[in-house]
Amino acid sequence: MAELVLNNIKKSFGDIEVIKGVDLKVSHGEFMVFVGPSGCGKSTMLRMISGLESVTEGSIHIDGADVTHEAPSKRQLAMVFQSYALFPHMTVEQNIGFGLKLAKLPKKEIEEKVAEVARVLKITDLLPRTPRQLSGGQRQRVAIGRSIIRHPKIFLFDEPLSNLDAALRVQMRLEILRLHTRLKTTMVYVTHDQVEAMTLADRIVVFNHGKIEQSGPPIELYNHPANIFVAGFIGAPAMNLIATTLSTDKQGTYIDLDGLRLPFNLKANAVDKMSVTFGIRSEHLEVCTNDSPDFQAQVEIIEDLGSESLLYLQTNFSTEPLTVRVSPENDYRTGQKIGIQVDKSKMHIFDTETGRNMS
Amino acid sequence: MADIQLPHGTGAPSAKPFNPWPVVIFIILSILAVLFLAPTVGVLFSSIKTTKEIAFGRLWDFPTSVYWGNFADILSNPSVQGYFVNTLLITVPATVISITLGILNGYVFAKLPFRGSGILFLVIISGMFFPPQVILIPLFRLFNGLHLIDTLWSVIFIHIAMGIPICTLLMRNFFATVPNALREAAILEGASEWQVLTKIALPLSLPALAVLVTLQFTWIWNDFLWPLIFIQSDEKRTVMLGIVNLKGQYSVAWGVQGALSLLASLPTLIVFLFFQKYFIKGMTMGAVKG
Ligand SMILES: Nc1ncnc2c1ncn2[C@@H]1O[C@H](COP(=O)(O)OP(=O)(O)O)[C@@H](O)[C@H]1O
Ligand SMILES: [Mg+2]
Repeated sequence: MAELVLNNIKKSFGDIEVIKGVDLKVSHGEFMVFVGPSGCGKSTMLRMISGLESVTEGSIHIDGADVTHEAPSKRQLAMVFQSYALFPHMTVEQNIGFGLKLAKLPKKEIEEKVAEVARVLKITDLLPRTPRQLSGGQRQRVAIGRSIIRHPKIFLFDEPLSNLDAALRVQMRLEILRLHTRLKTTMVYVTHDQVEAMTLADRIVVFNHGKIEQSGPPIELYNHPANIFVAGFIGAPAMNLIATTLSTDKQGTYIDLDGLRLPFNLKANAVDKMSVTFGIRSEHLEVCTNDSPDFQAQVEIIEDLGSESLLYLQTNFSTEPLTVRVSPENDYRTGQKIGIQVDKSKMHIFDTETGRNMS
Repeated sequence: MADIQLPHGTGAPSAKPFNPWPVVIFIILSILAVLFLAPTVGVLFSSIKTTKEIAFGRLWDFPTSVYWGNFADILSNPSVQGYFVNTLLITVPATVISITLGILNGYVFAKLPFRGSGILFLVIISGMFFPPQVILIPLFRLFNGLHLIDTLWSVIFIHIAMGIPICTLLMRNFFATVPNALREAAILEGASEWQVLTKIALPLSLPALAVLVTLQFTWIWNDFLWPLIFIQSDEKRTVMLGIVNLKGQYSVAWGVQGALSLLASLPTLIVFLFFQKYFIKGMTMGAVKG
């Protein structure tokens, strides 16, 4: 258990600034997920925490101690790599016990601890094998075993599931969650998959271009995205985003979507005729059963996902199709004209220029 | 790969076109094999024939009886034992030290690059392209000044120096194939850089090491030029010098020379056979990535 604090971390490779000032506090036992598109600097951030990469500016504190310039081995962290990084010339048993052997623990003790870890991860019968003889999921377990055996203060995971097939990924996701519940160790987990982030995290940090866009519990990010980037990144299908302009008159602020007037009570200062982006999630659009819909749309594509269906709709006010979530028991046809009702309490307005959520 | 087909006029559609390449290649390889084996066979024959037989031009006749006298002569000759000891005293330390330096260099160049390390690497590698003849005279003067002429040290030093480029190149290239994540995982487990090298990188590089040991040992053991230049007294001679030297003691000493040549090639053969299994082990371990 440990608390991790990042103070204004910056990192440059040559002239290129990859991390542009990150402040973050990860509490005792928290499961923190870094999510963001490829190349945004998640791995670099994680590697700086581990000490494998130096910090250009700023400081890292673990349990109050400044470890910014500490050697990786002194930080008492464990890391699980995307490639698992198992030592190919050692058996599973030797892989898991490697750190303990370096620490010169008695052979007997190492054996006992390895056996205990293997039992927890259900890999006891794999111990004599070498990594080459293991499947992807088994290698993943061994890598986790190697990291938990030394009871590190913090676990670091760098996209540990991205080399696994979809079914196994879901299974391993559950196991990592179970592991966290059991060990209650602070975890920092990097992924580019927002579903993984949503399901695993106590708190998500959304990275983009080396900066934190927003951090908070998954549901908070989902319901109250701070900006367009988070709105578009978190949630599947992605939030519908429609470029439009804001208008103000005596009755207040509103947007006009091809004759549909949607009023807003904005927190931020609104300027008449400013460019804004209107955001609404697919589940907050509803196919209208009465004859006074907010707007008319034409069904372009129907995706049946089994538990639900997604309608992609063409409208007069958006070049991109709008996504609407409907029950799987529906009889919509492509080309059909339907009326849509907007849930007025779930609408977002973003300043197109800054991306900031104004609602 | 394009199949090469002979144009055939019969037009039988089911007939498999005759592919001449395996036959051609087989013939070429057979000729090459004979060409390469002939000297060895000659040496073997000469070692088990009497000087008289050889002098009468019967070297290439298939031996009907084996004459052990040449080997007996060699083994009872006290200077010959000295030759072997000298060669071992040169070959073993020069091989071990050049490879050790190559390992250390290679690891740094592959895993711990620093500003200018790329240039430095090229500088070291360029050492391979100096023909020995170019540095012969300056070296002789240098060693003369250092009073190293007619010592085994001179040959040891020169072989260490000449071995560094190839050892560095081979080890660097092999270490480069060891994924960085392995080094990083080991470091997070508490390994020092030295432990990463000895417990991870080197065990994974056994095939490269086996190749290097064989190459260096054979090259240094068989070297004729450097001992010829730097060694003068008979008690410092290496085996290769000794073979030539036998000529002086006997009028025409083909048989004895053949026998010593055979004995002199045994150590390199043993080294090759011993390390051969690591080549194969390395190949089956090759796929490091998961
Ligand atoms: N060692 C390095 N040298 C130079 N650039 C690097 C290095 N490591 C990462 N980068 C760059 O930093 C950026 C962030 O990389 P990374 O942290 O791996 O992103 P992510 O893990 O989010 O996909 C990328 O543009 C990448 O090219
Ligand atoms: Mg990454």
